[in-house]
Amino acid sequence: MRVFITGMGALSSLGNDVESMFDGLKQGKSGIRAYPEWQQYNGLHCHLGAPVPEYDIMKIPRTVRRSMSRMSEMASLATFQALAQADLQPGAGLNSPRVLLMMGSTTGSPHALETYFRKMFEKGGPEGQLSTTFFKVMNHSVAANVAAAIEFNGALLSPSSACSTSTQAMITGWELIKSGMYDIVIAGGADELHYMSAAIFDIVQAASRGYNDRPNEASRPFDKKRDGLVVSEGSGVVVLESERSVNERRARPLAEVLGGAYLCDGTHMSQSSAGTMMNVMRECMSRAGISAESVGYVNAHATATIHGDIEEAKAISGIFGSDVPVSSLKGHLGHSLAACGTLEVIAGIKMMQEKILIPTRNLTEIAEECGGVRLLQEPLSVGINTFLSNNFAFGGMNTCLLVSAAN
Amino acid sequence: MTPTADVIQQVNKLMKTGFEISEDKLVPTATLAGDLGLDSLDAVDMLVYIEETLGVKVEGERLASVKTLQDVYMLASESMPVQPALQV
Repeated sequence: MRVFITGMGALSSLGNDVESMFDGLKQGKSGIRAYPEWQQYNGLHCHLGAPVPEYDIMKIPRTVRRSMSRMSEMASLATFQALAQADLQPGAGLNSPRVLLMMGSTTGSPHALETYFRKMFEKGGPEGQLSTTFFKVMNHSVAANVAAAIEFNGALLSPSSACSTSTQAMITGWELIKSGMYDIVIAGGADELHYMSAAIFDIVQAASRGYNDRPNEASRPFDKKRDGLVVSEGSGVVVLESERSVNERRARPLAEVLGGAYLCDGTHMSQSSAGTMMNVMRECMSRAGISAESVGYVNAHATATIHGDIEEAKAISGIFGSDVPVSSLKGHLGHSLAACGTLEVIAGIKMMQEKILIPTRNLTEIAEECGGVRLLQEPLSVGINTFLSNNFAFGGMNTCLLVSAAN
Repeated sequence: MTPTADVIQQVNKLMKTGFEISEDKLVPTATLAGDLGLDSLDAVDMLVYIEETLGVKVEGERLASVKTLQDVYMLASESMPVQPALQV
């Protein structure tokens, strides 16, 4: 059973729909800005973030909206976009046992977590807690809130693997449709910007520290002067659909998911290794039934960390050599954690459609240790038929997805 | 205890800001569930808002007998002050 993508939705630091995000990427814009107010947090060295522009959430009824944190709001809006493009109506039309909604986030809302525990400690107990705060804190908050927003009462899953979350959702969706279990999987992820998210990476010295006064130059994947990642926020959602459903509905495929794989590193919580990255890329191609020669572009996870970028460059070089164009979008968008997988696949599909490959922003001088791969420093006008997208997360969560044009 | 104008004003304000209820619906006879569209989760939050806004301690057990906006005014008026009221 072939699996197609028939709808896409995006809220990103470069814009609140797919076209705005891709226009920003084409223009080489950065969504990163300074957060000087974060200087108040002791021990936090990174004062940069990439927020999503203001959006309107009032179309969602209050009784649904009240339990939504920012990440659930963004995921709901992205889901509306994806469903609209796929010509699927929220509500009764989706409520079939053949439809699965699968979305996640790194944690529950960090804003709500802070509010919840701050009040708990101040009051010495649960006194004064709002009834809805926990619904923003729970791990499956995004999935449950999106289900309520689209009045969905079918199968619901909430994967959570930090920066690999939405990639895992897409891969699992592909597996389940291919197995015949479902015809439609609405897959995605979301995360919201908060100083605690930046702190997670800052503590392990993986967040940028040296560009607080130059946000436009921050997040420099593969660059000699990279010094870590910049956390952003957003949501990316795709509608995955079986060939049978596409034909029955006369839906318009935007792309085809050829295959995907997720393999655990199993050795270290934070330090990725080229060997296990290569394993997941090989497994992905094996499951898709294609060879490295068929891949026209690699969208790297590369977050601009010192160690991770080197390992990923080695891994890509080990499989693709120096011919296949490679870039990372973290220099434009920042690192949107659970959302980055779907946002980057959506951007990859737009690259295929518009026959232009987006280069890595801020890649001024390629780091020597990241050599051996064809890193794009300028836009490349070329038509590609297939691309591979990597996402790696703390905990050794290595994921890879192969997408082709909807031929 | 008859609710003061200040209590009524503050309760109405939190109904508008906390639950997005329009001014014209805020009449004393309005029922919480029927006319104002509030459910059990809203009722819990309403008590929290009253406590924070008016600086009182509300007896949660009394919630079961609160049916109308007038009942809310009465509940707020009859609750014991525990801290200086917030200026809202």
